[in-house]
Amino acid sequence: MPRKQRVGLSRLARYLRGKKARVAVLSAVAVGGAAAPIVGLVIVQHAIDHGMRAKNESVLARDVVLYLLVNAAAWILQTTLIRGLAQVGQGIVLGLRRDLFEHLTSLSLRYFSQQRAGWIIARLTSDIDALSDVLSQGLATLVANTLMLVAAVAGLFVLDWRLGVVALVILPPTFVLTRWFQVRSHAAFLKVRETIAAMTAQIAESVSGMAIIQAFNRERAFKAEFDKDNFANLESNRRAQLLNSWFFPGIEFLGQVAIACVLYVGARLIDDGSLTIGTLVSSVFVLNFVFQPLQELSDLYGQLQSAGAAMEKITTVLDTEPEIQDRKDARRAERIEGDLRIDRVTFAYGRDPVLHAIEIHVAPGGCLALVGESGGGKSTTAKLIGRFYDPDDGAVLVDGVDLRELELRSYRRQLGVVLQDPFLFSGSIADNVRFARPQATDAEVEDVARAVGVDRVARRFAEGLAHEVREGGAGLSAGERQLISIARALLADPRILILDEATSNIDRPTEVLIERALDRLLRGRTSIIIAHRLATVRRADEILVVEHGRITQRGRFEQLLRADGPFRRLAKDLRGAGERLPAELAAEPN
Amino acid sequence: MVQAPIVDPPDYPLWPTAKGLLRLWRAQWRLVALGLLCALCYSGLSLTIPILIRHAIDNSIAPVSGTREALWPYLLAVIVLAFLRFSLNFTRRYATARVGIRIEARMRELLYGAYLWFPRAFYDRHATGQVVSRATNDLYPIRYFIGWGMVQGAQSLMMICGVTVVLYTVNAKLASIALLAMPLVGVLAWVFARKVMPISREVQQLKADVTEASDEAVVGIEMVQAFGREDDVRARFQQKAEAVRDGVLRQARVESAFLPGLLFLPTLSIGAVLYFGGKDVIGGQLTYGEFFLFYSLLLQLVWPLEALGWIINLAQRATASASRSFAWLDNIRGIPEPENPCDNLSQAWSGAGLEVRFEGVRFAYGVGSEVLSGVDLTVPAGQVVAVCGPTGAGKTSLLNLLPRFYDPTAGRVLLGDVDIRDVRVEELRRAVAIVTQRPILFSIPLRDNLTAARPDAPWDEVVAACEASGVAQFAVELPDGYDTLIGERGVNLSGGQRQRVALARALIAGARVVVLDDPMSAVDTETERHLVDNLRPALAGRTVLIAAQRLSTVEVADRAVVLDDGVIVEDGEPMELLRADGPFARLFGEEVLAA
Repeated sequence: MPRKQRVGLSRLARYLRGKKARVAVLSAVAVGGAAAPIVGLVIVQHAIDHGMRAKNESVLARDVVLYLLVNAAAWILQTTLIRGLAQVGQGIVLGLRRDLFEHLTSLSLRYFSQQRAGWIIARLTSDIDALSDVLSQGLATLVANTLMLVAAVAGLFVLDWRLGVVALVILPPTFVLTRWFQVRSHAAFLKVRETIAAMTAQIAESVSGMAIIQAFNRERAFKAEFDKDNFANLESNRRAQLLNSWFFPGIEFLGQVAIACVLYVGARLIDDGSLTIGTLVSSVFVLNFVFQPLQELSDLYGQLQSAGAAMEKITTVLDTEPEIQDRKDARRAERIEGDLRIDRVTFAYGRDPVLHAIEIHVAPGGCLALVGESGGGKSTTAKLIGRFYDPDDGAVLVDGVDLRELELRSYRRQLGVVLQDPFLFSGSIADNVRFARPQATDAEVEDVARAVGVDRVARRFAEGLAHEVREGGAGLSAGERQLISIARALLADPRILILDEATSNIDRPTEVLIERALDRLLRGRTSIIIAHRLATVRRADEILVVEHGRITQRGRFEQLLRADGPFRRLAKDLRGAGERLPAELAAEPN
Repeated sequence: MVQAPIVDPPDYPLWPTAKGLLRLWRAQWRLVALGLLCALCYSGLSLTIPILIRHAIDNSIAPVSGTREALWPYLLAVIVLAFLRFSLNFTRRYATARVGIRIEARMRELLYGAYLWFPRAFYDRHATGQVVSRATNDLYPIRYFIGWGMVQGAQSLMMICGVTVVLYTVNAKLASIALLAMPLVGVLAWVFARKVMPISREVQQLKADVTEASDEAVVGIEMVQAFGREDDVRARFQQKAEAVRDGVLRQARVESAFLPGLLFLPTLSIGAVLYFGGKDVIGGQLTYGEFFLFYSLLLQLVWPLEALGWIINLAQRATASASRSFAWLDNIRGIPEPENPCDNLSQAWSGAGLEVRFEGVRFAYGVGSEVLSGVDLTVPAGQVVAVCGPTGAGKTSLLNLLPRFYDPTAGRVLLGDVDIRDVRVEELRRAVAIVTQRPILFSIPLRDNLTAARPDAPWDEVVAACEASGVAQFAVELPDGYDTLIGERGVNLSGGQRQRVALARALIAGARVVVLDDPMSAVDTETERHLVDNLRPALAGRTVLIAAQRLSTVEVADRAVVLDDGVIVEDGEPMELLRADGPFARLFGEEVLAA
């Protein structure tokens, strides 16, 4: 096995901690289970030589009873082994799945934006399943057969060392064949996994984009694309199976050659009178236990290879250092006041900075709005405030403390974030509202729902707030999803609220309703609003125009409108709408 | 009242499932026949080799009569036959494996092909993870059962018959005693399969749940982290993972109760041979060679019998998975094609533009109350109509009826005076281009995303559409321009950029009806201004329905209708509606004031 893979699999050992006693007992059981059939054959040898040839029926009868007892013991031992190994194996799988999931959820957004979602999900599902198959079924086969092989070779030597030597002559080529197979098949299975991953990604993308495929009659084109992937998968599978098909019969053939050799040498030794017929016959049967395990193990190689490959991929995920993690001396963020300062922050996703030394200050309870062109850096700023990224230069400070000095989770729990395309989890509408504060009472959920108009959404469904939302919120409109996610943020009772285009799909009257709710429920909280709709940013204490990663203008709404600057240009773009409007409507705000 | 399409049919019972699998199997009959032939010869050789050794023992190693024959011809024959058996075994394995692989690929092709035509309602009902897993992970039991199980099962039966015949020929009495325990193996294997089947079905379902939970956590990671709720999500995931573990352990308990027993039973037979055969050897009625033959053939029975148990088990898993797949394939219909397609469509649609008319349209999703309760709306050819209304009023539902994502539960939708249910779906969708609320792009180059609806669109038209929709502005800044790969493997575009690409794609489609579902919600004001100025000329001559949440979007329109609680409550020219102080003014009045 390649070194990397071994390192990967040895990771699994840590899940056996504290289970040493159980593993020891199981090992003993496994050894017993493997030795029993060989012992049975030694008894058969005795029965032939001392029962049949000596014509002693009572010895024969006693040997048969012994033989059956030994096999009954094997029965019980194997029952125990299957159960025990499944428990240990599933313990490992569960532990690994938990750790992998925990690790994944602690990785930063950059990782998720760089890695395909399908790729990540495959680690948690098909890779773990591949390991699970090995550990629950494969491990039993592996342990039992490996021990059986050893026990059988030992048994041969016990019966007659010369026959043992003959059989051993045949083993080296067998191991060479096995080794060759291992190497080739590892490569083949890696290829299989690759093609499966590509195909799964293609299917997943099609399923989630089906509306557009159908709307534009692209079914045939996608089918053609899929056919290519499906065929590549079929071909890689075929190559892997071609290898597999050689190996198993090859071992069987070598086993027959070994039997022929043992018979040939045995016949000579019987002529000398130095070997009995009982030993020869038993030795041939013992040979079965040398080669049969190899055959069964060959079926396992496929499983083991894919498990090894799976483990390699899982390891790459586990070895990814979370970009954002708590410093050792990080301290818990106590209730924050909401004084927010962005101090000369420069940030780049790749090489080119998206933000150039920007400076922002929001007093506790203040409301800051960011406006400007898409891609100007508004959302990036919001993400830095949520500490989804750390600045390359400068610092983000809350209540005068650098975010990097705070315990991430304790800080984020005081945040409320609403994104333009909010994600809803499967569960009821109420569950989604309650997401950030699971202990909230039904009454609180209903209050918030009413305050932002989610009750109106819920009324569409027979079950009301208990209506089950499907993953991603399918069946709800974008605006409805936004409403629910705003309710979610409100219920979280955040100290800092970030609304990133949070109301873009919501009509203005409902938005006004939401603003009132925000004013009432979040009085005194700091809020950051990113919006394109000017009406939305009117209520801000300060509005910043962000362009090309720089703040080009700042001030209050009316002040900015009066000044000659980028804001007026933005507003004028909209005023364009107003030019066709009757003058009395475009007059002074009330 | 029109019946809602079936999107969640019950799983098939065993028989139709088996018939479906057999149909797939038959398509591979050449390889199957080759496999079966090899299995037959393999079984024959597997019987011949022990018989040869028996003669070697009786005639050469421990001669029964006085004369001793040479040993090497026997051994040579054994090795030659063993080599022959090796070739046959290889051929059988490779042939059957290919059957399995091909059937897996075929099944996947059938499913994927069907997915492409399943109605929207299907995707509303089933989680993406489950739909994907049906065409990937769930296919493996089918592949192994058909590819390995069926021929191996046939071979097992051949071996069982062959061994029985040979043993009876050698010594009928001993054979009767030795084979006594064997039928029990069959019974045990059957009981085992019956017990393990429901559990393995359950485990499959539980694994799908884990996939769903993973999917959700990965896609929703930003929300999870933003609220610091990692622990809750982990606990939820842990619960599902534990359920899988418990399921697998239950399965292991059943396996541990039956499988070792399946191995123990044959040793009873061997014990019987040892005792009764041994007595016969002592009495001189049985030779050592015959004893050897009995013993080794009984050993050769163990694997075929065990394999039968496994195969039954595998068959259950395969049918469990196939029963759902076939139920989907057979019972879920795409949007129904017209039985009598409109025959003078080219005449009806001959005009420059197409009129869109909703007549008494009512609509409800499978669950929940009615979303549209009687919408009457006529959009003359070439008119741009803004559909406004509060969140949840039914705007998207109304627009989704035009490309027939759904059919109305009552009333009808007409396009150029033709009921759209009388138009072939493909033709209808060529006539209607849509921009969905959440822009969907694919992981292909930008160029291909743009021309997805019309791959042969002339490049100057593409460029013109990109200019009008504001794609040109950012396309030049992309690393490979229009050839930049979009998506997770390439460049991730912002929400606003994605919307613009989706808009350009719809313009390039060249459709005469364009449906825009809030197409500018994510673009910034400057770009929006650009769009408002440029969209009108780009849309000239087309009939357009545009769902709007902002006044600036409405500005593109000649006319606006306000939808509330599933009915149209106001209809008119936007400027007049603003003055009218009705629902429209309440929706947008403040925006006018703000600007």
